[in-house]
Amino acid sequence: MFLVNLTWLQLFAVFGGLSAGVVALYLWDRSKRRLVVPALRFWQPAERAAEVKHRKRIQQPLSLLLQLISIALLLLALAQPRWGAPGPVSRNHVLVLDTSAWMAARSGAGTLMDQACAAARAYVRSLPAGDRLMLVRADALPAPATAFEHNRAALEQAIAESYPGSTALNLGQALEFARQAQKLQGGPRGEIAYAGAGHTADAPPEAGPALTPNIRVLAVPDAAAGCGLRRISVRRSASDPGIWEILASVHNYGTAPQTAVLALSFSGSPAGSRRLALAPLADQNVAFQYRARIAGALEARLLTNAAFPGDDQAELELPAQKLLNVIVYSDDPKPLGPVLTADPQVNAVFRKSSEYAPGIAADVVILDRFNPSVRPGADSIWIEPPPDGAPVLVQSTVSNAELTSWRSDHPLAAGLRAKDMRLESAEVFAPAPGDVAVARIEAGPVIVAHPLAPKFVVLGFHPVRGALRYELTTPLLFANILRWMAPDIFRRWELIAGSPGTISVALGPEAASAGIHVIAENGTELPYALDGGNLRFFAGTPGAVRVIAGDREMVFSLTLPELAGAKWTPPAGAMRGVPPAAAVPRAFSELWPWFALAGALGLVVEWILFGRGHVARIHGHFGFLRPLRRSAP
Amino acid sequence: MTQEPIIDRAFLEKLERLAMRWQKSFPGLVGGHNLSLVSGQGQEFLDHRHFHHGDDLRAVNWRAYMRFEKLFLKMFRVEPHTPIRLLLDTSESMATGSVQKLQYAKRLAAALCYVGLVRLDSILIQPFGARLADSFPCSGGRHRFGPAADFLTQLRAGGRTDYFRVVRQFVSSYPQRGLLIVVSDFLDDRDCQKPLEYLADFGHELLLVHVWAEEDRTPPWEGELELIDAETGARLELEFDADARERYTAGFDAYRDALRKLALRHGGRFASLPTSTPIEEAVFGPLVAARGVE
Repeated sequence: MFLVNLTWLQLFAVFGGLSAGVVALYLWDRSKRRLVVPALRFWQPAERAAEVKHRKRIQQPLSLLLQLISIALLLLALAQPRWGAPGPVSRNHVLVLDTSAWMAARSGAGTLMDQACAAARAYVRSLPAGDRLMLVRADALPAPATAFEHNRAALEQAIAESYPGSTALNLGQALEFARQAQKLQGGPRGEIAYAGAGHTADAPPEAGPALTPNIRVLAVPDAAAGCGLRRISVRRSASDPGIWEILASVHNYGTAPQTAVLALSFSGSPAGSRRLALAPLADQNVAFQYRARIAGALEARLLTNAAFPGDDQAELELPAQKLLNVIVYSDDPKPLGPVLTADPQVNAVFRKSSEYAPGIAADVVILDRFNPSVRPGADSIWIEPPPDGAPVLVQSTVSNAELTSWRSDHPLAAGLRAKDMRLESAEVFAPAPGDVAVARIEAGPVIVAHPLAPKFVVLGFHPVRGALRYELTTPLLFANILRWMAPDIFRRWELIAGSPGTISVALGPEAASAGIHVIAENGTELPYALDGGNLRFFAGTPGAVRVIAGDREMVFSLTLPELAGAKWTPPAGAMRGVPPAAAVPRAFSELWPWFALAGALGLVVEWILFGRGHVARIHGHFGFLRPLRRSAP
Repeated sequence: MTQEPIIDRAFLEKLERLAMRWQKSFPGLVGGHNLSLVSGQGQEFLDHRHFHHGDDLRAVNWRAYMRFEKLFLKMFRVEPHTPIRLLLDTSESMATGSVQKLQYAKRLAAALCYVGLVRLDSILIQPFGARLADSFPCSGGRHRFGPAADFLTQLRAGGRTDYFRVVRQFVSSYPQRGLLIVVSDFLDDRDCQKPLEYLADFGHELLLVHVWAEEDRTPPWEGELELIDAETGARLELEFDADARERYTAGFDAYRDALRKLALRHGGRFASLPTSTPIEEAVFGPLVAARGVE
């Protein structure tokens, strides 16, 4: 007979401790009890026939003996005794199953994942019955699928439920995780088996002394290396917002040069194609331009016969180009025309002041030296409003004034430094509380902004009349006003198709000062790190992530699988292949159920024989329980 | 934190239909159900007599004067009250037991006090241990129950019982006879029957209310016991088993019977109340059955 959970020494030590406790409790229970009673007058007659005994004497030895035997039997059951010869020492193994994106590549009749699962199942069946195994699914992050299990059916079920993910394998991290799991589990360490193709994104783990003794590689035949899309970036052209600039990156995973055709289509229509000659283990970037103002789906397809089809195609939803609708009410529209039509994102319509209608649909309304009876519901720009009915109180009118200062911390004055501008005539305003004075002359503010909706900006001078029309300040001021009123339309927008995992974005040194938001598809904010001008965040699953930094917005469509470029070469001392099945017959029988049953039976017998007499004693100790007992239903 | 009332309102409402009863006629004292033939201050009409100089004009029967043109004076029945005294044992022995007997006795005393107040009786609550403690007289109707309840609530157990001394002190302090309710566990190592007999012989009508805990009658313990008298601190070591318990219980029952006989022999009444009986059940059960209240 041998014990599984304890050694004999441990068993005797635990039994000795428990026995001492039980005997002490027994003696205490039978010892003289000190009681405070209301009077002794009725006790004295009861004492006459009583025999005073010594407290140390064990009065019911059979009861104590039964209790000790029962405890011994229960302890033996916990120690899990087995009758027969002990088998080999039970060990704890870890099986690292590669579930990286590469495992979806086809090889022969099935995928690499099918072959890895078959090898993992064969490995599980080859282990001795007493050994325990933990299954770890590994891609960018290792994730335990089971605890250390004896149950082979549960392990095979977990293997069957393993599928290729979207990220590349981080093999070094997975092997380190397996080592830590074995260390924490304790007991004799078994093997760390790796089942997969060995394509890893990190630096391949070196064959150090810590790695080689117990590592086993269940290699699967690798798929033929092909080429695939790595990244597609789409953004509006800075010079012509009607044009999409498309940049695609294709990688050759093979060691031989390859040719492939990259074809683009927009909403089903061909949008361009390019034949690529790909150097071995290198990226090639291809740039396209496509004019489209409407929304549609841009599809990039790599025409190749690669074994891994997952990275041959990518699709991006492109939004329509937004325009800012501006209505200008002016009796002299000619000077304002060049300022507004210079921006292709602005759609300006000019009307006479007599045609003013307050409810007309427009994003921004410009009122040139004209005060309407009803103010517009949209955001508005007021140029030299007559003092009677102006949105801001006109304090005075001055002539030949010099512009002295700009409020440089306000977006309306961003980039404006001109201080030598002379204004032929200017209205000086008295801004209301909450209004912002953007520009001043000596006599007071001449540009006032109202930041609450509907926003409006009041200019005390005409910016395109006289000498001002030749100043650079004028178009910049209008651009700032329009961007301040409609930031969504002027925000720089970029769409990038890539792979899940760690994403790095170059935002520039001024990014830290801008408000940065990294928002996942479900609306939750993702944590990120900002290192200089580089933003880094991690997305473990495929999906869309939006990065908003100031006036810049990037949408990452993380649907391309992340394929690892490096191939791991197992160390020379590593074991390889599935070991021969351990032929260990079951040469023992379990005894613990019988011991547990006998122990429980002994306690029941002891309670029946001796326990009932103690009920009154228990009541004596816990008399306060009696009202509770009585009130119980 | 508000203190829980000694008796809840629902129980007080039920107590209103009860009244304190006594069987003896005490010389010179009437009240309640015993009518007086003495005229004096009162509410109930007794007779007329001729008006004499110096009589209270408010008692003149003016209707009779209008008819007979003579002054007649109305006389009223005097209403002296039989004193009810409630001796409440607050010795240390009342604090033993899983349910404190003193707490039970205080609630019982409060109930009896309220019954008396409702019937406009005068009640004196007199705690005692080794000697008589400060008493609390209460009379004048149910609205005077609050101070009495407060007095009972603040009582604490302490000291040893000395019935001889207490009775001597009581007789010298209260010479007027009346109904005497003794609420106690009657556990005095010295005999308490003699002092009680002395009280009865002095002319008091006794209502003995014996309060006891379950373990006072049937101790649940077994084995070697070291017993300490709660009042005297005396110690006794013994081996206690089922036979000893039987002897103990028999002794307790014999003592209780002796107390009952003592009370009945002297025209009094006796009620034995275990603390396991709810107070409401005790008042409307054993206490009514013993004709302590009706």
